[in-house]
Amino acid sequence: MIIDINFIGLIIASIMASAVPLILASCGELITERSGVLNLGVEGMMIIGAISGFALMTVTGSLIIAVFGAMLAGVLISTIFAFLTQTLITNHVATGLALTIFGIGISAMIGKNFVGIPGKEFPVLFESLKDTIPLLGPILFGHSIVFYFAFALPFITSYFLKKTKIGLIVRAVGDSPESASNQGINVRLVRYACILYGGSMSGLAGAYLSMIYTPQWIENMTGGRGWIALALVVFSTWNPIKILIGAMIFGGLTIIQFHMQAIGVRIPVQFLTALPYIVTIVVLVVISRDSRKIRLSTPSSLGKSFHKDN
Amino acid sequence: MNTNLKISNVTKIYPGCVANDNVSLEFNSGKIYALLGENGAGKSTLVKILSGVIIPDEGKIYLNENNLKLNSPLDAKKNDIGMVFQHFNLFETLSVFENLIIDSDEERESLREKIDSIMKKYNFSIDLDIPVLNLSAGQKQKVEIIRCLIRNPKVLIMDEPTSVLTEQETSELFLSLKKFSEEGILIIYITHKLKEVMELCDEVAVMRRGKLVSVSEIKNENIESLANKMVGQNLKTIRKKKEKTSSDQLINIINLNFISEDPFETNLSDINFSVNRGECLGIAGISGNGQSELFQVLSGEIISDKNSIEFNKNYIGDLNPQERREYLMAFSPEDRLEQAAIPQMAIFENVALNNFKSSNFFNNGLINENKIKEHSKKIISDFNVNTDNIELKSQFLSGGNLQKLIIGRELITSPDLLICFNPTWGLDVGAINYIHETLIKINEQNKSIILISTDTDELLKLSDKISVIHKGKLSKIMNADEVTSEKLGILMGGGN
Repeated sequence: MIIDINFIGLIIASIMASAVPLILASCGELITERSGVLNLGVEGMMIIGAISGFALMTVTGSLIIAVFGAMLAGVLISTIFAFLTQTLITNHVATGLALTIFGIGISAMIGKNFVGIPGKEFPVLFESLKDTIPLLGPILFGHSIVFYFAFALPFITSYFLKKTKIGLIVRAVGDSPESASNQGINVRLVRYACILYGGSMSGLAGAYLSMIYTPQWIENMTGGRGWIALALVVFSTWNPIKILIGAMIFGGLTIIQFHMQAIGVRIPVQFLTALPYIVTIVVLVVISRDSRKIRLSTPSSLGKSFHKDN
Repeated sequence: MNTNLKISNVTKIYPGCVANDNVSLEFNSGKIYALLGENGAGKSTLVKILSGVIIPDEGKIYLNENNLKLNSPLDAKKNDIGMVFQHFNLFETLSVFENLIIDSDEERESLREKIDSIMKKYNFSIDLDIPVLNLSAGQKQKVEIIRCLIRNPKVLIMDEPTSVLTEQETSELFLSLKKFSEEGILIIYITHKLKEVMELCDEVAVMRRGKLVSVSEIKNENIESLANKMVGQNLKTIRKKKEKTSSDQLINIINLNFISEDPFETNLSDINFSVNRGECLGIAGISGNGQSELFQVLSGEIISDKNSIEFNKNYIGDLNPQERREYLMAFSPEDRLEQAAIPQMAIFENVALNNFKSSNFFNNGLINENKIKEHSKKIISDFNVNTDNIELKSQFLSGGNLQKLIIGRELITSPDLLICFNPTWGLDVGAINYIHETLIKINEQNKSIILISTDTDELLKLSDKISVIHKGKLSKIMNADEVTSEKLGILMGGGN
């Protein structure tokens, strides 16, 4: 059997495309968690982003408005979370779960009018270069701007956390909000900013799903990707580069098991569908075993409310 | 240049407690000032006001005649007041350098040079690129001090700095502080340790219950006079009446061995001793020589051979702590907040945890809250615990009050034997005195004590018989009046 080398390239490209929403949402959540806030509302923020992007695209016809609108929608819904957890000092876990339930519900309600409407084609970059290099051509070229941004994001995130002053402050707040506050850092402000940033990335991840990956609105179309994004953050031990690896494994197995189902491999479908979840977590646990490194990168104050008392 | 810091009529009131009551003080550079007081005397509140962490209800702070508005720690920093807190304000997972650069506006390279020159000048050696969690307590404190020195402070406040340091680190710290003082930094040193005040400071201000009680020069004071000022009454020097104790044996330990799987624990080998009724057996030793394991074996946290412990003519070596309590043993572990009490639970709930048989705290699986509360109030009043709120979480009690509560909880069941491990560790003079009096009283009621302690003075004061534990082995048991602290010191070091 002769396999076209470009076909392999296409498969790899489709794996990368399916990893994009995971990378976006995970890298956003990573910043939120690094500041000590556990936002379990990723799934909810993603689906709000998905419906907002699709609805704005249909109504205004502008892709730019739709993409930024979806990010803004993520910011707005995460503002609710920030207000509750940071200003009213509610429990992070309960508030995050409520956010997800709220997001799924409200997106279904808004989405009623958009079911069955076809999406618009999203422009891709470097289309003409696709056939110039075998194998690498389809991998590197002919993708949307969001795709390229997503693959740059883990490196940007890593640089931001390690090399910039603001990144240092985010880590410091996550390590010990009490000490940070005593050093004159405005803990609440930093955490607000990190939550809203996480919201915008989840919103973008949702928009990618409904506008680029499968350009249409289907109820509940995020299908648990928000939860996987959360798991990636934890199992990558808050390391953006490992998030990239985890997202690729997850995306890869998802695509491959589709193909296996299509070829008719005699393995129960349920097992194949469950495979990516199990393998991704096992691999990330194995590559992140160093307990000293885990201790150093785990935000010590994760999920704990902080309020300054006088 | 001279620095003059003035605190004028500062008052801070918390619900149910006046932390600072109209306090006025004046400090001048060139001297080291001690701010002395028992736990809860208000000295920490006062320095937190100086460092902007707490905003006072009334009063003003002047630095060189300028009225300071200290609304946040940032304001204190901007006004050249540096503070090293008792609990370090460091970010454990960040590197030393990251900890230092985070609140500095300087460039990386120039800051590094500055830190290097500070470390050179004061003989500090710390690797700037390792995470803070890998440092010892003494090194962490140096990082905090460097953090203050980077800003060329006029005032440096140290809040109970030696509570986590070894003796070696303490004397290094004192040398540095004297050097800072010579260079014109005004030093305010907060402590409840009298010896340190005498050794380090030039002037001392004593606080008690939120009020300033005296300001004087060290050369006019001695340890006794300061202790009396701090506690507010003339401390009786307690000395136990050494009477002949009975020969009625209460507990007998026979060939007790313990071999641990944990390489950081000490094995116990061939422990043999007995304690008579009305007697106090002291067990001395340098910490880490098996005291903790011995306590756990005696209390039943570690279960041993049934026949190795004979208590009141019963063999109880294989019983757990709860079952041993029913035979009228009681325990006061070393770590008050981790082992003896649950910090997040209220006082009365902690009392209920010692659910002895006759208590009736629980009826058919339901909590009898009234009964427990009544019982808790009795403990609080009988044992002088300084609060009247039994719903208070136990983590908010000071060390002394918590220890009184724990001892009270154990004693109110009138046990035959109390086993305690470092009962006065980290407490102030007043609380230590109270605990000592209580322990003496137990002996007078013909009840027995096993006192495991690293404080030799305490052992000599309270024990009838003393033994020394070294590398998991007990020395022969000696009569306390034949022992001197020198002799104990030799045995503790493994000599003969």
